[in-house]
Amino acid sequence: MKCDEYDVVIVGSGIAGSVMAKTLTRAGKKVLLLEAGLQAGIAMDKEGAYQNYQFYLDTYYKAAAKVPNSPYPNLPDAPSPDVLDIAPIPNSCSPSTKGYLVQAGPIPFASDCYRGPGGTTLHWLGSTPRMLPNDFQMQTKYGVAVDWPFTYYDLMPYYEMAENEIGIAGDVKEQIGPDVEPVKNYGKDYVFPMQKIPQSYLDQTIIEITNGKTVTVELNKKEYTISYVATPQGRNSIPEPAYKYAGVAWNKKTQKLELEKTDAEYDPVGSLWDPYTGQRCEGNSSCVPICPVQAKYNALKTLRTADHDNLDIITQAVASQVLYDKGSMDITGIEYKKYRYGNSPIYEKGIAKGKIYVLAASAIENAKLLLASGIANSSDQVGRNLMDHMVMLTWGLLPKKGFPYRGPGSTTNIPTFRDGDFRKEHAAWISPIDNWGWAWPTFAPGSDVSNAVGQGMFGKQLRDHLSDIIPRQLLLHFECEQLPEPGNRVTIDPRYKDQLGNYRPVIHYNASEYMQRSFEAAKKVSDQLYKAYNVQDFTSYSAQNPDHVQYKGKVYNFAGAGHIVGTHRMGSDSNSSVVNPDQRTWDHGNLYLVGCGNMPTLGTSNPTLTMTALTYKAAEAILKQLEN
Amino acid sequence: MNTNNHATFLTISAYLTGFSETDLLGTGMVDPYYAAIRDNNDPEVLGYFYQEAATILADSHGDEAEINEAIAARLIPDSCYNGIAKTIILLWYTGNYGNDVLSTDSYKEALVWNVAGAHPPGAKQPGYGSWALPPFSV
Amino acid sequence: MSKFFQKNNPKRQRFVPEDKPDKSLLKGRAMADTAPPDPEEIKKRLLENLQQAIKLEHSTIPPYLCALYSIKDGTNEFAVNTIRSIVVEEMLHMVMAANILNAIGGKPAINTKDFIPGYPTKLPMIDESFIVNLEKFSKASVDIFLQIEKSAEHPEHDGDDYHSIGEFYMAVRRDLIKLNELTNGEIFKGERQPQVTSEQYYGSGGKLIAVYKLEDALEAIDEIVGQGEGIDNTIDDPDQEMFGEDIEYAHYFRFNEIYHGQKYKPTDSVHDDPSGPPVNVDWDAVYNMQLNPKMSDLPEGSPVWQKMYDFNKTYMALLNNIHDACNGQPSLLITGVGLMYDLKYKAIELMKTPFGEEGLMAGPSFEYVQ
Repeated sequence: MKCDEYDVVIVGSGIAGSVMAKTLTRAGKKVLLLEAGLQAGIAMDKEGAYQNYQFYLDTYYKAAAKVPNSPYPNLPDAPSPDVLDIAPIPNSCSPSTKGYLVQAGPIPFASDCYRGPGGTTLHWLGSTPRMLPNDFQMQTKYGVAVDWPFTYYDLMPYYEMAENEIGIAGDVKEQIGPDVEPVKNYGKDYVFPMQKIPQSYLDQTIIEITNGKTVTVELNKKEYTISYVATPQGRNSIPEPAYKYAGVAWNKKTQKLELEKTDAEYDPVGSLWDPYTGQRCEGNSSCVPICPVQAKYNALKTLRTADHDNLDIITQAVASQVLYDKGSMDITGIEYKKYRYGNSPIYEKGIAKGKIYVLAASAIENAKLLLASGIANSSDQVGRNLMDHMVMLTWGLLPKKGFPYRGPGSTTNIPTFRDGDFRKEHAAWISPIDNWGWAWPTFAPGSDVSNAVGQGMFGKQLRDHLSDIIPRQLLLHFECEQLPEPGNRVTIDPRYKDQLGNYRPVIHYNASEYMQRSFEAAKKVSDQLYKAYNVQDFTSYSAQNPDHVQYKGKVYNFAGAGHIVGTHRMGSDSNSSVVNPDQRTWDHGNLYLVGCGNMPTLGTSNPTLTMTALTYKAAEAILKQLEN
Repeated sequence: MNTNNHATFLTISAYLTGFSETDLLGTGMVDPYYAAIRDNNDPEVLGYFYQEAATILADSHGDEAEINEAIAARLIPDSCYNGIAKTIILLWYTGNYGNDVLSTDSYKEALVWNVAGAHPPGAKQPGYGSWALPPFSV
Repeated sequence: MSKFFQKNNPKRQRFVPEDKPDKSLLKGRAMADTAPPDPEEIKKRLLENLQQAIKLEHSTIPPYLCALYSIKDGTNEFAVNTIRSIVVEEMLHMVMAANILNAIGGKPAINTKDFIPGYPTKLPMIDESFIVNLEKFSKASVDIFLQIEKSAEHPEHDGDDYHSIGEFYMAVRRDLIKLNELTNGEIFKGERQPQVTSEQYYGSGGKLIAVYKLEDALEAIDEIVGQGEGIDNTIDDPDQEMFGEDIEYAHYFRFNEIYHGQKYKPTDSVHDDPSGPPVNVDWDAVYNMQLNPKMSDLPEGSPVWQKMYDFNKTYMALLNNIHDACNGQPSLLITGVGLMYDLKYKAIELMKTPFGEEGLMAGPSFEYVQ
């Protein structure tokens, strides 16, 4: 295509950028997409896509530590944050600079993301619960944080679009918990595109472990009944015959995005290289960091189905500056540095021009780019309110074998503490049951082997010991909702730049007392659960772990959930937010921000689904703006 | 290849891991592991290790309890042969030599997944819905 | 749309042979020139032939799997992906033949001793000179696969044998049409319950067709035959490009690309060998599997015998599973997929296990065991 001025320039090919590109090009708009990662990663032809993905897979097999970014190239020209770089921070004057993120502390931010074609959806887990209606009104209901500028119900049609595009497997009828009921939250007769992913044998073992007796726990002198929900997720399963939507399309007449109806059965979207590979989850048990058959959704599936006659993509192009007219405040171009190889300091500058600009580069990169460009920040909110789920893990041995290390990372969650009056005092949390044993906190089962061998075990004794303990491993998450706090933020500092001369993000991060109280509460709940399940608790927290807090004399460790949210919040007035409800910056009439950075609060849901719904809302606003 | 040492490696591996020689052969990893042990150890110490292993196997005439006792006393202690016996066990169970994954194949053939009733993450996938049932081997 | 592509997928090749007079009907006419065809007799023949069709589709699977699993991990990507996709479709064909049989009130028998061919063997129902082995991936074995998938031009011939899979299916096709006509469609029971549907079967180029009426049955046969058969001189459409990245080739062409180590290019004719870009085929990156291994080659109870026995137990569990799935419990097939993977891993273990003579490896023997 190649034109001088596009309708829209998008930065980033993750799920927000790809959904935007697909929606706009299919509505006939000319789009230019800038992607910082390598050209090979964006291959859309079968051979190229296959070869590149096999390279990722091979890298994963050979990686000593199989962390979320382990399969993917980490480029000096467009580096990604990596959890392996988390290190103690001596003091705020000497931040930890071990990895790409400059960690100013006081505690290191614990999550990573991936900067490359397809973005973090390459290594996301794929869990897609919706947020709760109360999550949108935290200030009104509980007197903390802020309200969203619209309600859950306003977002509902866009949730349906996101669930169509990602391809959600789940059972709406089972979505029951605090502030969730099928009809209230999903509407009458609504179904997901695919039937639910079977709950694991481990889940069933736990659910049945009390022989039908309900488990109750006490917290803050209140009794709670534990319930279990099959988690909706973006991975392929058996098509749901009652699902009748084809896809999202722009209706010029109504000036709205609409889900088009069809009589055809939903067809699970297979891998990039073969439509018949990955039509069902095959139980590879490696969703994070890589699904070998691409049964799990990734954004490249969306990008592939954009209208490529209307789309140009420039890869190895790192956006470095957003240019604007000081009079009109309109954005006039995006300057990017196109490097030759991922580790070469040689680059050429280019300027991408369009009528409208969309930053979809991740919460951290969007904020960094805005700060570097000195724009969109009249509210002084850019970079602030960085949030994540702070994940407290607890682990133990079940009284019988549940056979973990099989199936998707999590297939069931405990929703009991997702909402309640306690949110006035401490964070809410969701508790996924983890299907992968103690892998996350202890590097099991490798560590189980080395511990046993270290004790002198060998032969049949070793084999019997391992086959007794590994199948009994249980890991629970307590994913605590971090609230927006101005001091948790992304900043820039001229002392810290990458080799192309682009800023590295400087992160300031802490766990407030609101969070610390939730760790204490969650641990109390965990203790009661383990007692009820007759699980032997092996949880151990250490002050040696850089991500620890001490509360009332006790140490708690937390991990990052990879849910990086909130750095350019959306709101209803320009004094306290960066974007308006259409996700257009208050300061620049032709600049939109998309992605998790817009979310005013996090709730207890994995944020990708909600962020994708928001992106459809933004795409609709852009189409309206372009046509008027 | 020293065929005597190779044979000793296989037999002693079976006693060290608790898997049969046929099971170990079925992984296809006997040769690469033998080579990895050969290439990463002092040949003199390794020579003594094989000599001791062969002696243990020959002297106990296949009496399992006797062999295990001898292995525990004469091969397993860290003071013996630079810990080669433990290295061999870890190699078979995890596919790692030290902290490094030896190869793509070694990752996929690590015995720990077998004893866990599972499979190496990202390989040997058991198929849709398999995780909702106990493993076939149970 | 060209007549050489599937109705439900315009990118998928479909070569259905020209309709020629059927021997079985000719034979019937010769015997009783004036008598109308007897529906009972046709039905009997159909029940028999559809059972044979299931058996025939199955008989290609063990040889293809041996070739596939003999290829060393991480090599021969093109051949692996190709053979895998073909095997998945052969299984699809097998299940669809069972669907047709169920649709006219038959009972597929998939777990009996005589269901499993004793390799080396000729293909069931097909009177052709070539012998099919359980053997490793090699130029010779792929050559046999080409013969399985290609039906050459056969002159008119006498006798009630069939010279190709296509010929056999055309007879089934005509019987179905005739019987449907004679029974005013009553022969098709339209029962939903015994039909395996795309809920249970996936991952294949062809879509699984549930059979409730004649049209479904004919579509299913066209999918089965269209993938491998009828490539003779009667089809030629100079205006139609038959190859290209988005086109799903019939099995013959897919095997032919492996055989020649070269892809077809869009302008190639179906009658010529591929002349496109080369693909890497490494005939040496293969486990040296014993030809047509048998459990009886080894002392009963020996470790390798035990491994072969374990493999065959899994194989029987799979056949039992498919049998039950095709006899009223289709949802069982979802578990069957797990057994297929288990079978694969057991087969590959055998491929790595030395077998008697120096340098030879064991392999899956696909034998009936209790």
